[in-house]
Amino acid sequence: MTGKWLQRMLPATVVLTLVVASLAGCSQADSSSDEGGEETAKEPYTIGAVLSLSGTYAGLGEPEKNTIEMELERINEDGGVNGHPVKVVIEDDATDPAKAQAATVRLIEQVDVLAIIGATGTGQTMGMRGDIDRAGIPQVSVAGGTVVTAQFDPLVFQTPWSNSLVVPFTLSRLRDAGITKIALMYDTGGFGADGGDVVKATVGEYGISVVAEQTFNPGDTDMTAQLTMVKGSDAEAVVLWNAGKESAIVAKNMQQLSMMLPLYGCHGNARAEFAEGAGDAAEGFRFAAGKILLPETYGTDSMSYRVATDFVERYTERYGKAPDTFAGHAYDALYLIVEAMRRLPEGFTTAELRDEIERTDDFVGIGGIFTFTESDHNGMSEDDLVMYRIQDGAWVLDTP
Amino acid sequence: MRWTRRRLGITLLGVMGIAIAAVPFLTDDRYLLKVLTFVGVNAIVVAGLALLFGYAGQISLGHAAFFGLGAYMSAYLTTTHQTPWLLAVLAGTGIAAAGGLLLALPSLRLKGHYLAMATLGFNEIMSVLFVELRGITGGNNGLSGIPFPSIGSFVIDTPAGIYLLVWGVAALAFLGAANLVRTRPGRAMRALHGSELGAVASGVDTTRLKVQVFALSAALAGLAGALYAHAVGFISPTQFSLEFSILLVAMVVVGGTGSLVGPFFAAVVLTLLQYVHALIPGLGNDVASVIQDWEVDISGMVMILTVIFLPGGFAALVRRKRIGVAVDGETV
Repeated sequence: MTGKWLQRMLPATVVLTLVVASLAGCSQADSSSDEGGEETAKEPYTIGAVLSLSGTYAGLGEPEKNTIEMELERINEDGGVNGHPVKVVIEDDATDPAKAQAATVRLIEQVDVLAIIGATGTGQTMGMRGDIDRAGIPQVSVAGGTVVTAQFDPLVFQTPWSNSLVVPFTLSRLRDAGITKIALMYDTGGFGADGGDVVKATVGEYGISVVAEQTFNPGDTDMTAQLTMVKGSDAEAVVLWNAGKESAIVAKNMQQLSMMLPLYGCHGNARAEFAEGAGDAAEGFRFAAGKILLPETYGTDSMSYRVATDFVERYTERYGKAPDTFAGHAYDALYLIVEAMRRLPEGFTTAELRDEIERTDDFVGIGGIFTFTESDHNGMSEDDLVMYRIQDGAWVLDTP
Repeated sequence: MRWTRRRLGITLLGVMGIAIAAVPFLTDDRYLLKVLTFVGVNAIVVAGLALLFGYAGQISLGHAAFFGLGAYMSAYLTTTHQTPWLLAVLAGTGIAAAGGLLLALPSLRLKGHYLAMATLGFNEIMSVLFVELRGITGGNNGLSGIPFPSIGSFVIDTPAGIYLLVWGVAALAFLGAANLVRTRPGRAMRALHGSELGAVASGVDTTRLKVQVFALSAALAGLAGALYAHAVGFISPTQFSLEFSILLVAMVVVGGTGSLVGPFFAAVVLTLLQYVHALIPGLGNDVASVIQDWEVDISGMVMILTVIFLPGGFAALVRRKRIGVAVDGETV
């Protein structure tokens, strides 16, 4: 009888223990996270951030999070915003538009943020739009899809070079290399599909034609079938638009199929994980991205160079590796908001914050020099881009 | 004795109903209301799944797909064709019911593992369609800008309003289900669960019954999906994956077979698990994200433990404790 009773109570006990343990964990974590010296009399300004810390964009979200945490310390050591400490609440969207939207709702409804950084991905950024609009909160996205600012929303700003800048830059390089027929591959997620659309719309202007078009889904692990189709075409180069882990698989699959075609990626590949993931299959891979990867490309006597090298030094010292372009996007997003806050008087509203971000003029960031206008919330130009090539596992400047 | 227990039960249900209805007037935390709205949405699905699995003994690992069918149908109609909300929700419910019927006709000849496999396959097929039918579903990027529920010019656009709407529907679903299990079809379902052969021998048309219950539970999932779409305003394929199907089954298994109250409470607890930070305000972000990362594993583990140690779920635990002496007296 007692044995039976015990048997019945066991699962209940296990569940209870789990709940209690997690609650205990919570209260502990809670007390430790609140220890950050609340001596400043002024209440903190809270910004939300929706980043992909897991899922296929985890490699992008991590440097973004690192950057925000590092720069936040620096901002608060400098007295925050006019004496107000700045707080950033970071949410993980798991590279999932639905989770990004849910996180946005929480940041708006529960945390009561003044502005939102993110999301990491284009699809995620677009998924947040409905709630951003309803709440009237400014959003600075770190995603590179054209739609983010092309489907214009007065509340939404964007720090990476949008596809409408990177695609023409890449296509002009292809033209200069004498390539007239390309195979186009992209993922069906927000960023890839967006890039694919822009390539197809502008390719004619460069005397290039798309002779093969193949897509894959985010999270796919083998692109041999698509590449076999590409191999059967008369393409002279492969253009790949994707920012996830899938890019490395494409490079590897191409090597396995002994495809010698030059492979052109995009600014979504500007990170060490790609070169590491693809190994020697990444050799010769070309991609357009900002100048942070090789700061001397800014021009060593420029303001941008000083800002970038200072950032690279601090980041490398703290995290043991150099920052990539995604770290730069987060840097720019954070400072665009914080600098706007600094220019505003006490007690500003979110609408005033939006207006002030739009007034950003000649802000020297990592991605480039930002000037927003009423109709341009990207504020970048092709001059902020350079072409890289992967050589011996590291990126070098690819001069035409 | 029996009378007083029944009265106690009704009183408890009444208190619970009043408590649920009172929530919007007690809190102005909009996020908490949204989270509790999702609990209500899941409860509607679980009402149907409890009938199907808990009473009729038929498993479905495809209910997320019916949920998605309802959500996409209603979202597509309201965003692209400006269909009135009520019509769109009915269409969402209808298409899920039709899908359930179509799936049930061939699949319910299957039993046990084979039925589980068939419904699992259905869920995967629908997941692919949700991604690939880009013109309708928006592909991986999902559908956004889904309007709030509205009837004519009356728009329910506050979290409290949507909460009350969803919970109102959930209450109707549970009352309907409770009524159903106490009548002839309910007894037939239990007979089917106990022994299909026995049920046939007792004159139950089991095939017809199985198809009906399956379609009904699919319809409830579709209804919940449609309500969900208008409550969140944005849907994308990942929300309707196999993971969600398994979570729904876990709610019924943990809650208990042959019970509606058990699965209801399991739905509340397992849904809230992913929103712990909404309930415990000061909760560290790290802890919340750990729980979220392990959410599927936690519900899976709870389900396994339940099946091993408590085959009838928590409802059976309560039931056995209540009439424990009599049962043990007989069996031991």
